[in-house]
Amino acid sequence: MSDRYIVDRGIVHGAKSIHDINPATLIEKIVRERIYESLYWKEQCFGLDAATLCDKAVDLQFIGGHYANQRVSPFLCLTFKLIQLQPEEEIILEYLNQLDFKYLRAIAAFYVRLFFPAEHVYSLLEPLLQDYRKLRLRTTSSVKLTYMDEFVDSLLTGTRVCDTTLPRLPKRIALEDMGKLEPYKSPLESDSDSDSDSESGGE
Amino acid sequence: FASDNQGLDEVDDTDDLDPVAEREAWKERELARLRRARQELEQEEAEKEEIENRRQMNERELTRQDQEKIEQERKAKSERHKAG
Repeated sequence: MSDRYIVDRGIVHGAKSIHDINPATLIEKIVRERIYESLYWKEQCFGLDAATLCDKAVDLQFIGGHYANQRVSPFLCLTFKLIQLQPEEEIILEYLNQLDFKYLRAIAAFYVRLFFPAEHVYSLLEPLLQDYRKLRLRTTSSVKLTYMDEFVDSLLTGTRVCDTTLPRLPKRIALEDMGKLEPYKSPLESDSDSDSDSESGGE
Repeated sequence: FASDNQGLDEVDDTDDLDPVAEREAWKERELARLRRARQELEQEEAEKEEIENRRQMNERELTRQDQEKIEQERKAKSERHKAG
């Protein structure tokens, strides 16, 4: 009985551990508490499942962590809901690969970065570097314009995104050396190759 | 939630208002990322090369290189001092 006493709200019971820890603890304790206190969580997130969560994600207006006097963003609330739901991998991929709703895609990208193994993080998120749709990023002080590719780039290279510390991700080059990844091929590279060819031809 | 959405309207996240410019802006960003990746790679290679070089040196050469480096750093420092 004593080991079932709840000392930490939001722990996902019966979930398989990811990165050897309970998935909920990837969201920091203080953020979790604020999520529980937030109006959005109480009003909008109750009883959501993997399908109805889409409807909420479609209505999102910005990404971010905390804003305005330490309120947590609906973006984080929905991400946390997703963590509790622990949907099948295919559902996440479906969120990630649909093209109609960019904020749903952003949530899925964030989720993938938090929970998927490193080589999948790269192989799944790198195609999103070509998605240049606009996103609103709301921070404590202001609302900024960012782009999907910038957001994904910050997920791949940064350590802290949306007030959440990301799990450690090995450098791309290390995975390439182990033979787990092919080198990154940018769609621009074929362009720039032909450019440099023509330059060298002109000299 | 009236006050909650304050400031949101000032940033427009509507896509495809000017597709050509948006694509150009993306190209810039992508190129900057590629450049950054290449720089990281070059830096790493340079480091590896230096380690390899130093392994092959004997005691005297090592000391000399260290001295040179210290000298260089001291110079840079004093110049920074002057500038500041």
